[in-house]
Amino acid sequence: MKIITLTLKKKSQIALEFDELIPDKVFNWEKADFENYQVPVGNRRFPLTDYFDIEVEGDAASPEEVKMILDGDFGRVKYIGCKMSAGEIIVNGDADLHCGAEMKGGKITVHGDAESYAGREMKGGELEIMGSTREFCGCSYIGDWRGMSGGKITLHGNAGKQLGECLSGGEIFVKGDCDILAGIHMNKGFIQIDGDVTRWPGGQMKNGNILIKGKLGILLEGFVYDSIVVDPEIDGKSFSGKYIKYNGDIAVNGKGSLYLNAEKNREYL
Amino acid sequence: MAYEPPVTDYDEIVENGTCAFCGCNCDDLDFLIKDGHVVGVRHACRLGASKVMEDMDQRLLVPMVRDENGELQEVDWDTALDKAAELIAGSVRPIFYGWSETSIETMKHGIHLGELVGAVLDNQATICHGPSLQAVQNVGYPVATLGEVKNRADMIVYTGSNPMNSHPRHMARYSTFPRGWFRQRGRFDRTVVTMDPKYSDTAKMSDIWIGFEQNGDYGFYNAIRAALRGKEIDQDFVSGIPKEDIMELAEAMKNVQFGALYFGLGLTHTLSKQRNIDMAIEMLTDLNKYTKWVLTPMRGHFNVNGFNIFMALEMGFPYGVDFARGYPRYMNGETNTIDLLTRKECDVFMVIAADPGAHYPGGAVKHLAEIPVIQVDIHWGPSTEIADVVLPGSFIGLECAGTSYRMDGVPIYMKKAIDKPETCRDDEWIIQELHERVKKIKAKEAAVASK
Repeated sequence: MKIITLTLKKKSQIALEFDELIPDKVFNWEKADFENYQVPVGNRRFPLTDYFDIEVEGDAASPEEVKMILDGDFGRVKYIGCKMSAGEIIVNGDADLHCGAEMKGGKITVHGDAESYAGREMKGGELEIMGSTREFCGCSYIGDWRGMSGGKITLHGNAGKQLGECLSGGEIFVKGDCDILAGIHMNKGFIQIDGDVTRWPGGQMKNGNILIKGKLGILLEGFVYDSIVVDPEIDGKSFSGKYIKYNGDIAVNGKGSLYLNAEKNREYL
Repeated sequence: MAYEPPVTDYDEIVENGTCAFCGCNCDDLDFLIKDGHVVGVRHACRLGASKVMEDMDQRLLVPMVRDENGELQEVDWDTALDKAAELIAGSVRPIFYGWSETSIETMKHGIHLGELVGAVLDNQATICHGPSLQAVQNVGYPVATLGEVKNRADMIVYTGSNPMNSHPRHMARYSTFPRGWFRQRGRFDRTVVTMDPKYSDTAKMSDIWIGFEQNGDYGFYNAIRAALRGKEIDQDFVSGIPKEDIMELAEAMKNVQFGALYFGLGLTHTLSKQRNIDMAIEMLTDLNKYTKWVLTPMRGHFNVNGFNIFMALEMGFPYGVDFARGYPRYMNGETNTIDLLTRKECDVFMVIAADPGAHYPGGAVKHLAEIPVIQVDIHWGPSTEIADVVLPGSFIGLECAGTSYRMDGVPIYMKKAIDKPETCRDDEWIIQELHERVKKIKAKEAAVASK
């Protein structure tokens, strides 16, 4: 097991890019390799040691045996764990844009908030964010109809707009509230939201499931009432309670399902 | 409005000039010229005419550099260009913003410069029709030229747009009033619909006004699409509009021969942003199963579309193109000007033919005031007040020729009518000169580094 610890000593105003510092690439790096490494900042590269104290312990023969611990405010470090396929990254602070984007495996834990595009085009692995995230969590690249296609995102805080845009697999679990258009354009996968939703979940969705335990503001006209289901089983998981089931979005001939907690959304009954 | 007698005292007329104001790019203007100045403009709307007529009002004439006391001092071209080149060459996260009021020829040199230093190239789309471009990338674009609309359309829909005020000749020249090949009676052969929470001037002269509630766009279009699929709408009111009206409108839109939808910032900048356009485009896709419908964004500046078309052709992305890592990247929220400024990332800002000082949100302008700003423009404006280097350009379409793209993507060559003031330079020359000077500095740096 190799433990790589980066402790922030100077925060850069211009964001650093960490797409080259993933377990897949650094599992055989020694401390000297990190000290020689120049990290992309804007249109330049500067020594990593300008910004972090680096500690490397133990050895690793493969990326699976790597654990990266990022201590401090990483709110100006983009692409943390981008495209990683194995190993573990723990961020003890906030993370900037594209945290866990395109990751294929392994695990990322953020003990703070994450900026937009967390888990963009994720294919596998696990992303856990203890705080909140902003727009486009688990989304696609602009213009692509395939977003996150595997893995799991767990959000302990709130989600921003267009959560799981174009979701085509995998699972997103939000413990807090969610802003507009969760699961827009989704065609597969599962989104569970424990908190309240402002409006329009599942806009233009073709398939997949959305379950909302909290209160919903405005429902789209594209959803057609199906039935009241008690203790539904979705994607092999069972949920207790009464849910109103809608099918939609019929505007795109969608066959997706939206489950709304009946207790908290009595006006829709 | 007071009566203004026609201008009769002029030396010559330059015919078929192009208006350099809004995205209509009216190319039928006649400039009346006396002693090398325009004394009258025929055919233009008041907006276009006043831009040409008051060209010399608050005009930037000489290059300026801000001194230690914070005052702009007039300098010669060499000093100003060297200062600007030095700032650009030394920057870590530069942004070159604007481009929408200059020619494609200038942008060509801008791309070379941006690629050389690793800058972000962005234009006004980032604060206006950027969401439209994102939606087009998602779901495509049923487009037609303005000429087709003039000759064929029998239903015109304006949504989130008020052309009577912003694009005054749009209705007169292209969409509503002109007589077309299949619309011989002009206005009488067309139905005009305005969808706007405000009872705007356009709404006042429309046949139908749909005043849905603010931020209700997405839900409203979704309901029309549900109605088109044959669903009986459940809710009595969707986004403040009675369900009967929505059913009736859906039916009416289905039964036209050729419909054209124009949308403005009212659609791109409400709550659900690009998804409004996404939904509107998909609504037209549905309508195209029954009849012919097209859509065009109401672009604001005369060449804002040009930058997007040119960048998409050259670099693959329409705006917000980041060369920081040496290759073009494009990501909303990351490589856009406003985000880079509000996150205080940008360290040198060059503005070409735009006025961020007037248009940007407060937080972004606040950061602009803290960093070096280079301005290439023709008029004194709020951006000049925060600029550190001012390079006076020339007026495209009047003092110098250039290519621009109309809102429907038709390229128009704008010809020259008069000479520019002697102390000014063409935008194209300025950017090319900056490129040359930055190249020299970079070559020197590389030589030092290799030793």
